[in-house]
Amino acid sequence: MHQMIEAETLTKQYGTVTAVDGISLSIVRGELFGLLGPNGSGKTTMIRMLTGQVRPTSGSARVMGLDVVEDPIRVRELVGIIPEQETPPSFLTAEEYLHFVARIRGLDRIDARCDHWFDLLEFQDKRDVLCKDLSRGTRQKLMFAQAFLHEPCLVLIDEPLINLDPIMQRKVKDFLRGYTSKGGTVFLSTHILDIAEEICDRIGIIHNGRLLHAGRVDDLTGSGRHLEPFFLDLVRGDVGA
Amino acid sequence: MLVPDLFLAMMKEEWRIHSTVFWGFWFALFPVMIVVFAFFGSLTLPFFSDAVPYTVAALLAQIFFLLAGAMVGSFGLMGREFMNRRFGQASLIAYVSRSLPISERRIFATFLMKDTIYYILLYVLPFTVGFAAATPFISIDPGYIILAFASLALAFLIGLSAVCFLSTLYAHSVRLLAATLVVLALALFHAGTVVFPPYSFFLDPGLEPLALSLLFILIPAAISVLFVTVDYPDQVKRFKNSLDSLAERLSPLGSEHFIAKDALDLLRSEGGAGKVVFSFLLPVGLIWLCLQILIQFVPGIDPLMIFAVLLGVISSTIYNWLTEFDSFSSYAFLPVEVSGMIDAKLKSYGILSLLPVAVLVFAAAATGGAAAPFIPALAVLISVSAYTLAVTVYLTGLHPNVMLYHAGVFARYVLATSPVLLLIIFASIFDPLYALGSLLLVPAAAFLLSRSRRGWQTWEISGY
Ligand SMILES: Nc1ncnc2c1ncn2[C@@H]1O[C@H](COP(=O)(O)OP(=O)(O)OP(=O)(O)O)[C@@H](O)[C@H]1O
Ligand SMILES: [Mg+2]
Repeated sequence: MHQMIEAETLTKQYGTVTAVDGISLSIVRGELFGLLGPNGSGKTTMIRMLTGQVRPTSGSARVMGLDVVEDPIRVRELVGIIPEQETPPSFLTAEEYLHFVARIRGLDRIDARCDHWFDLLEFQDKRDVLCKDLSRGTRQKLMFAQAFLHEPCLVLIDEPLINLDPIMQRKVKDFLRGYTSKGGTVFLSTHILDIAEEICDRIGIIHNGRLLHAGRVDDLTGSGRHLEPFFLDLVRGDVGA
Repeated sequence: MLVPDLFLAMMKEEWRIHSTVFWGFWFALFPVMIVVFAFFGSLTLPFFSDAVPYTVAALLAQIFFLLAGAMVGSFGLMGREFMNRRFGQASLIAYVSRSLPISERRIFATFLMKDTIYYILLYVLPFTVGFAAATPFISIDPGYIILAFASLALAFLIGLSAVCFLSTLYAHSVRLLAATLVVLALALFHAGTVVFPPYSFFLDPGLEPLALSLLFILIPAAISVLFVTVDYPDQVKRFKNSLDSLAERLSPLGSEHFIAKDALDLLRSEGGAGKVVFSFLLPVGLIWLCLQILIQFVPGIDPLMIFAVLLGVISSTIYNWLTEFDSFSSYAFLPVEVSGMIDAKLKSYGILSLLPVAVLVFAAAATGGAAAPFIPALAVLISVSAYTLAVTVYLTGLHPNVMLYHAGVFARYVLATSPVLLLIIFASIFDPLYALGSLLLVPAAAFLLSRSRRGWQTWEISGY
């Protein structure tokens, strides 16, 4: 099977804090992988290392065959990323922001691509509004559109649904499922367990920077268990350890 | 009239803004550094007393604090945008007045009071302490210490209240502001020799210059408080897409979408054109005026040359506007390199640099339009602006607004720039043509810029 992400004992230390502690994992094409963990467990740091935004202290990672330390720009050209904090530049309008990203990525058919996303996420009426005046949910839609504009085959998403209303959440979940069924790959981080249980193929549970568990969601639910008690047992058990 | 609790809250707020945005501990060293600079600066006074008599040095200090006051005033006016960009929707107490049961006037008056006391403690007091520590070594009567403190504080406050006054005018109508500026300029021109009241007070302490200084502070401040308007960014602004058309026009330059974005940021941010007036034209105009006063005392100097040096330094702060509303964290997830961002900012800077060049042409025309001193002055402007910009970029990367308040960085900035600038000024006193030598700074600037492109590349932005 085709490896989209391969991490080898990836570690990041911030001073004395070990944000990510020797995580190895691999994700294949078409997978919807969810990285779950409590606040401060290292999810964002993991995504930032995998996309060449932060340099690992040790270990290595390849994304779509590219070394993230050697080739960070190429990695970010290929993948789509939705960062944790949605910060589009404040004095561009939503439409201008998407065009701006499209120009950075050197895309063609910019209008058509943007229109597609304004329609799909239902925010055509906000395209002329300055980003700083957008509501948080709309800003998150914009960041979603931004990440998929170049039709990447791998997307890394940090907390995808937090500010969206239930209708939009449904839509985005369905979109992500459709995207992976057509061969796209998703790496998302979340601490909302229901989302993970509903849409992820496979999950990893991270706590204090260490990967406590990685496995298929089916295997859990198939054996009659639910993600939430499993997660809580695992994380609480780890504190005691 | 003032609200004590509000006043205290604002003082705390100001300190926290500085100490959290501007590197905590290092920020606390900022006043200490002013003490040190003032001390050593004062110690050197006897060595230069032939070229720069004490009275002129005092005048220079007055001008410096007048400008500092004007700068603090303009920062207060632009503070909201700056804060929003850094901390999301965080707002200064002064801007949330609608949620407090207090009138805007009282809040603004308290705000001014806070600026007065805070910055006198942060700038004027340390400066005076440094000067005071040096007086025994340079045989200056200690009586001048109190006088220096009082007159510098007055100079600072005149700058502060003048900017508040002009900005209140601006908030009501741009035409009113323009008309007032023209009237003021004409009045000054007509008056011929101008005596700056705090300076007269320093030279000859008496009731009259003191009263005059206080009037120059209190009247503009009172007007700006009485007619204050706080505009709330209530209505959602809509704009048609102008990024693409701008980018198309700029495409020969490369990185056109970044330049177009910089342009839109500047045009659409609060103040817009006002920013150009308050953080560029106004200080530059003040400097020009002060130079006109100065040449009455120091005959040998060519005002155009000194103006070109100072204009070059002020021009380099255009880079601060360009980076003010941007944080690399909004690009970190895109295929963009820090060096690419720096390149784009430099291009935007190059375009905006036409503004100081235009100002210099204007100034040269005003002094009689002789071409002979203009060419060296233009060379000085270009090289000083390139060099101070390069030092800024080298030391602060994409974050000059934050990093220059880091005492260590600021010290290096001063050390890297001031000797060079003084050398140019002294050389030009001997012969304006020597100033052409400043063009040597251009390759130095190019070297620093290429070093910074590589240096900042590896810097990890922790996303503040
Ligand atoms: N730039 C940084 N400098 C210092 N420490 C950091 C930095 N970024 C993250 N950390 C620390 O690393 C640890 C992991 O942080 P990270 O942001 O990766 O967690 P997270 O799982 O994304 O949390 P959340 O669910 O709250 O988003 C935390 O202890 C955090 O304080
Ligand atoms: Mg996170």
